[in-house]
Amino acid sequence: MSELSKGFVIVASRNINFYTYAINLIQSIKDYYPEALITLVTEERFFDGRETEDTDQIIICGGHYREKLWGMANTPYDITMYVDADMECEHEDIMTIWDEMKDYDMVFHELTKEREQFYAIREFKYNGGYEKYKLCGGVCLYRSGSPLVKEFMDDWYELYCKQYDNRWMPDGFDKEQWAKDLRHFDQTTLWWLVNKVDKYKDLKIGIFEDDIRWNYFTQYGYEGLKSKTGAPPILRHYSGCLQKDTPIV
Amino acid sequence: MKQETIMSRTWLDNAFWETPRKELLNAISEEVDGNKTKRQVHKIEKLNADGTPNELFIEAIEFLGEEKINASSQKRLSKKQDEADIEKQKKMEHERAKKLEQLFEYKLETFEIPEIKESKNRLLKSKLRRSKSVPEVNLYAILLVQESLEDVGTK
Repeated sequence: MSELSKGFVIVASRNINFYTYAINLIQSIKDYYPEALITLVTEERFFDGRETEDTDQIIICGGHYREKLWGMANTPYDITMYVDADMECEHEDIMTIWDEMKDYDMVFHELTKEREQFYAIREFKYNGGYEKYKLCGGVCLYRSGSPLVKEFMDDWYELYCKQYDNRWMPDGFDKEQWAKDLRHFDQTTLWWLVNKVDKYKDLKIGIFEDDIRWNYFTQYGYEGLKSKTGAPPILRHYSGCLQKDTPIV
Repeated sequence: MKQETIMSRTWLDNAFWETPRKELLNAISEEVDGNKTKRQVHKIEKLNADGTPNELFIEAIEFLGEEKINASSQKRLSKKQDEADIEKQKKMEHERAKKLEQLFEYKLETFEIPEIKESKNRLLKSKLRRSKSVPEVNLYAILLVQESLEDVGTK
């Protein structure tokens, strides 16, 4: 049996700043993990010569708001670690990422009560009660070679596009909240697929061991949130502080 | 918490000194009138305005005992100190996190300088990325630009 291919997927679309963030992220992963295989999913118009320096594959994508989902679905690897472009690697434990796969199909960072103040929304109205987003899509390790996982990723992208374009809104959601907070959010689609779609109910979904290290939002530092073991972050997430629409230079 | 007493007015044992010289006492009295209990917070001076001893102060001290007030004051002081330490720590963490965010943006800008953007010197670029301060970033940026200029000079 041939060994499974394992690599990182990073997506930069729509906004040139994401390309700059992605290049930095790719180089930072290589700083700590020189053998890492990395695929950059991006738009051709952003190319400046750096796109091929540390990547083993380039996949050209469109300019959709959440092209990341398409990128995740189109990974060339059997096991994929997707990382949001506006992150940076800062620890050699990045090399241990594949051990986190265990026997799961997908592994995420968890949205917990302690962390909820840093998220746009965690709890939402559903069927007269309240539900919570529990999984954060900022990083995701997944068994992309599995047909069911591949189908899940395809569905995540396709359903999200429908949701974003107002072509899909399932019953049970609060219309006002949907329009204001949920429709544009890929977490909503993720929640739906994980919790409401029968064919995915047997997927084994896990949380990274000491998961804060794999997606350490800089805002966690405001409150001094630490990893369970006290070990430093592996991937730091700068999403809340960057001026994404302002040119970097 | 409440002391047993034959007096009609009792004092809660969480009284504490407001000043190190023990001339101002913060204490809560309690009076029972039928089914009703009235609690009142006092800040009691040791002396009246004319310099005579304050009867209420004497009553509270006699009821509670100075040792108990001292212990309660010390406990309260320690708690306040712990809270202040935690708050200070939190503020420092917050400032550190903010500084890190600013440093990240500064590094991204630095990496966009053409000579650095085009440099193939992985080692220096890695050191720049791992820099912990603006001066450290600048130092590696200078080295990278210098290297680029030297390359131009030798070509």
